[in-house]
Amino acid sequence: MAGEPARRAPFTGRTALARRTVLRAALAGAAAPGLASLLSACGGGSSTGSPSAGETIPAPDNPVRWPISDANEMIASGLTPERGSTLRIYNYASYLSPRFLKDFEEKYGVEIRLSTFNDADEALTKIASKELAFDVYFPSYDSLGRLVQAELLRPLNHDYLTNTGNLWPRLRDPWYDRGSRYTIPYTIYSTGIGWRTDMVQTDVAGMSNPYDVLWDTDYANNTAILDDWHTAMAMVLLRNGIFDINTTDPQHIAMVREQLLDMRHTMSPSVTIGMYTELPAGKYGLAQMWSGDAINLPYYMPDKASVDVLRFWFPEDGRGEVDNDLSVVLAQGKNPVAAHFFLNDLLDDKIAETNFGYTGYQPPLLQFTPEKLVADGYVPENLASAVVLEKDFDRGVPLLQLPAAADAAYHQVWQEFKAGG
Amino acid sequence: MAEAAGPRGTRWLWPLLALPGMVWIGLLFIAPLYVVLAILFGGVDPILRQPVPVWNPVDWDTTQFRYVWDHVVGPQPFFRAALVRTVVYVGLASLLCLLVAYPVAYFTARFAGRWKGPLLFALIAPFWISYMMRMLAWVNLLQADGLLNRTLSAGGLFDVHTHWLNGRPSTVVLGLVYGYVPYMILPLFAGLDRIPAATLEAARDLGASRWETFRRVTWPLSRPAVVVSLLVTSLPMLGDYFTNDLLSGSPNTSMIGNLINNSVLTPGQTGQAGAFVMLILLVSVIPMLIYVRSTRAGTDVQS
Amino acid sequence: MRGLFGWWRDPWRRPWGLLLVTVLYLAWSLLPVLVAALFSFNAGRSRTTWQGFSMRWYYGDPLRSVWHDASLHTALTHTLWLGVVATAVTIPLGVAMALGLDRWRGPLPAGANLAVLVSFVLPEILIAVSLLFVVTVLTTPLKLGTSGQVIGLVTYQLSYPVVIVRARLLTIGRDYEEAAVDLGASPFGAVRRVLLRMLVPAIFASAVLVFADVIDDFVIVRYLSGDSSTEPVSVKVYDTARAAPTPALNALTTLLLLASLLAVVIGFLAYRWFTRGEKEGRGLDVFTGEA
Repeated sequence: MAGEPARRAPFTGRTALARRTVLRAALAGAAAPGLASLLSACGGGSSTGSPSAGETIPAPDNPVRWPISDANEMIASGLTPERGSTLRIYNYASYLSPRFLKDFEEKYGVEIRLSTFNDADEALTKIASKELAFDVYFPSYDSLGRLVQAELLRPLNHDYLTNTGNLWPRLRDPWYDRGSRYTIPYTIYSTGIGWRTDMVQTDVAGMSNPYDVLWDTDYANNTAILDDWHTAMAMVLLRNGIFDINTTDPQHIAMVREQLLDMRHTMSPSVTIGMYTELPAGKYGLAQMWSGDAINLPYYMPDKASVDVLRFWFPEDGRGEVDNDLSVVLAQGKNPVAAHFFLNDLLDDKIAETNFGYTGYQPPLLQFTPEKLVADGYVPENLASAVVLEKDFDRGVPLLQLPAAADAAYHQVWQEFKAGG
Repeated sequence: MAEAAGPRGTRWLWPLLALPGMVWIGLLFIAPLYVVLAILFGGVDPILRQPVPVWNPVDWDTTQFRYVWDHVVGPQPFFRAALVRTVVYVGLASLLCLLVAYPVAYFTARFAGRWKGPLLFALIAPFWISYMMRMLAWVNLLQADGLLNRTLSAGGLFDVHTHWLNGRPSTVVLGLVYGYVPYMILPLFAGLDRIPAATLEAARDLGASRWETFRRVTWPLSRPAVVVSLLVTSLPMLGDYFTNDLLSGSPNTSMIGNLINNSVLTPGQTGQAGAFVMLILLVSVIPMLIYVRSTRAGTDVQS
Repeated sequence: MRGLFGWWRDPWRRPWGLLLVTVLYLAWSLLPVLVAALFSFNAGRSRTTWQGFSMRWYYGDPLRSVWHDASLHTALTHTLWLGVVATAVTIPLGVAMALGLDRWRGPLPAGANLAVLVSFVLPEILIAVSLLFVVTVLTTPLKLGTSGQVIGLVTYQLSYPVVIVRARLLTIGRDYEEAAVDLGASPFGAVRRVLLRMLVPAIFASAVLVFADVIDDFVIVRYLSGDSSTEPVSVKVYDTARAAPTPALNALTTLLLLASLLAVVIGFLAYRWFTRGEKEGRGLDVFTGEA
C-alpha cells in the first residue's frame, strides 16, 4: 500500500510531538470511554470537577500563564510581509468584513484566502491535520488549552502588536492567557434570546423566566437554537437557575439531556448559526442568539421600516453567557509575519469600526464605548440590550473548557440531540 | 457470445488494458474500506481526540463499534430513529420517483415521435444542472416570503405563510424526489424503449383495453427496468445528508447521512462515522446483488 | 359521435394524460432553475423579491459580485478545472478497463466487474469518507485539495465509462474486428482502427456525462477539499446558502449552468461530427446504453 501507516503511536506518522505528550497518551490508553463509565468517573456533586493530569483549564478565578515550548518559535522583530504571499485565514462565515480584507490586501500586497467552518469542532479537526497550513484562526478560550498543549499555536511577538493599547485594560492581560502570549481578543458578545414582535406575541423580556419561552408550545416550529453544543446546553442550565454552566455534575447533565430532548420533541427547533439571516427572512420568529447577530439583524431585514419589530433579551442581573473570541497565529502557517500585521490591524480603531459595521460584533476597544453605539445610531433602541458593557464581564458567566470526561459526556448528549432519536 | 477473445495474438492485450483500472479500483476503492475499519476499531488521541488507526486486527478495540451498536439496539437507542427514518424517507421517495418517472419515460419512449430527441435532452438536462442549484432554487421558492407561499396566497386572497423549511419530513421527501427523479427516468426510458411497439400493438389488436395492455404486457416487460431504476435511485439516496441540511434545519428529520456528517469531523466521534459507513455498506449489499444479477440477466437477454 | 365513454375506452386515442404529466414534470423540473437564474439579475439583495434588473452580481458590485469576490470566481474556475482533469483521467482509464474486462475471462476480471458495478450504485459518502480517512491517517501523495478531489472523483466516476462502453461493445460484437483481420489488418490495427472508431460515440457520451457529473459533485469534493481555494461551486453554494446568501450565489450557479450547457453542446456536436455518415448509433440511445 502506498504510504507509511503509523505504527501504534498516539499520533500519525506525520506529526511529531513532544515526548511528554507521547507518554501521557500511552498512560491514558487509546480507547474512547462510554457514557456510563464517563459519568461515574466524573463523580457527583463537584462543581468544578478535576481535570485529568496535565489538563490546565483557565478560569476567571484560575488565571493561567501558558508555557512557551521550543517547538514553535516567536518570529523575529522588524520584518515586513512578503508581497505576493498568501495569508490563510480560518474563521466563521460573515465574521470578517470583506472591505477590511480587500484593504489589507492592497495595503500589504498579500493575497488573503479566507476559509470558513461551521463549528469549532470541525475547525479543530482540520487544524489538527496541519495539512492546510492556516495562518490565523479565531477560537474561544474553551479550546485554548488544547491548542497550546498540542503545540499548534505560535507565541506572539508583541513588537508587531502596537495597537494593544487600544484594548480594554481587563483584556490586555486576561485570565485565560496571562501576558497575552498566544492570543489577542477579537470580539465580545453575549448570548441571549432574540425575537420579532410580529411573529411572537409574548413579551419575552417581561417573563419571570424568559428562557422558558423556548419551550412554549405556542411557538412550536417557530424557534431556533444555536448549533453550538456548549452554548445551547449552557442555556438549558441557566433556565434551571444553574449558573455553573461548566458543571460536571452528571445529574445536571442528565437534566440538560432531558430538557433538550423535550424541546426537540415538542418545539421542533431549527438548529443553526444562521439566525442573522433566517430570522429576518421569517423562517422563525424566536431564537437563542448571539448579541452580535442581533445587532446585525436590521441589515438583513427585507423592509427597512420593520426594524422596530426586533427585540433582544439578556438577563437584567447580568448572569448570562458573556464571552469573547480570540485571534491566534497558528504554528503551521507559512506567513506568520503577515499574520501578526493582520492581528494588529484588527485592533486599529478605524478598522475595528469597519469590521463591526459588517459583523455586528463589538470590538473590546476603548474608543468604542458601548454607550456610544446606541447614541450614535449604530444600534437601534429596541436592540439596546444586545450591546455588551464592560460590567457585564463582572457578572456574566463564561463558557470554559471542560475536563475530557465531562466534555465527552456533553458531546454525547448533543450527539443524541442532533441524531433525532 | 462468449467466444475466443478477439483476433488471435491479442490475448494479452485485454488484461493489460484492464489492469490500470483494476489497480485503481483496488487501491482507491477497496483498500480504503480497510482504513475505515482500522479507524473504527482504533483509538483516539488524548489531546485533540483525532482518530488513531489500529492496523492489526488482533489489536482491534471494539469500544467505538460497541458504542454505536449499543445506541442502535441497546437500552438507549438514539441512533435508531435516524436509521428508521432513512429507510422510510428513501422508500417513500423512491416510490414517488417511480410514480413520476414511469409515465414520463413511457410517454417519451412510445409517443414522443419526432420530439423524442429534444424531449430526451430536456429530461437529461437536470444531470448537468448542479444539484445544489436545483436545491437552492427550491429553498428560494419555499421560503416564508417565497414564491410558493405568495402563489398560494393567490394575490392576497389567503394569507399563506407556511414554514416549509422548518423540519418537515414532507419537504425533505419531496426534495429527495426532486433531486433524484432524473436518475430514474433514464434507465426506465431505456427499458421501455426496448419493448417492441409491435408487441403492444398486437395486444391492442387482439382487443385488450389500455389498462389490460398495461397490466398484462407492458408492466411485466418493463419490470426488470423498474427494478434497476429503483436501485439506481434509492441506493445513492441512502447517503444523502445535504438535502436534509438545506431543506430542514431540524434534527427531527436527520438521516444516516447526517449521522455520518455530524460525526466525521467531530473530535472523538470519527470512528463512529466509520461504523455508520460500514452499516450503509452492509445494508446496500443485498440490493446491490439484486442489481448485479438483473444487469447480468439484462445483458444475457440482449445478446 | 362515440360519446365520452367510447373516447375513454379507445385504445388508439392520443395520450393526452401522459402528455400532461410529462409537460407538468418538465415544468416542475426546470422552472425553479429558471427562476433562480432570473433572480441572479436582481438589482437588490433579495433572492425572493424582484427589485429591478441589474448585472451587479456578475461584475457590478465591487465587493460581492462573482467577478470581484475571489472566493466566488475561484470556485467557478476550480470546478471547471476539476471537471477537465477528472474527465481526462477517467475516460482513458475507464475505456481501457471496459475493453479489457469485456474480453478477459476469469475470476479476477469478474471480481473487478462486480466492484465496478458496486461502485456505480453505492452512496458517494462511502467513497468520500473512506478516502478522507486515507488522507488523514496515511502519508501518501494524496492531499486534501485538488489531488484528493481528483482521485476521489475518478474513483467514483470510473464506473460510468466502463458501463456505457461495455454496453456498446455488446451491441457491436466481434464481427467487425474479425472482418478487418480477414481483410489483412493486424490484430492491434483491427482494435485500434475499427473497434475504437466504433466506440467513439460511446466514449463521447461517457465523457460528457462524467464531466457534467464531476462539476456537479458535492459530497466527495467537500470532504476532500482543502482551504477555500479548492472549494468548488457546489460547496460554496452549500456553505453560503446556510449563512448569508446574496443573488451572487444565483449568478455563480447560472454561470456554471452556462458552462455545463456549453460542454454538453460541444460534446454533442463533436459526437455528431464523429458519427457523420453513419446511419445507426447517431441517436441519443448511446446515453442510455447503460442497463
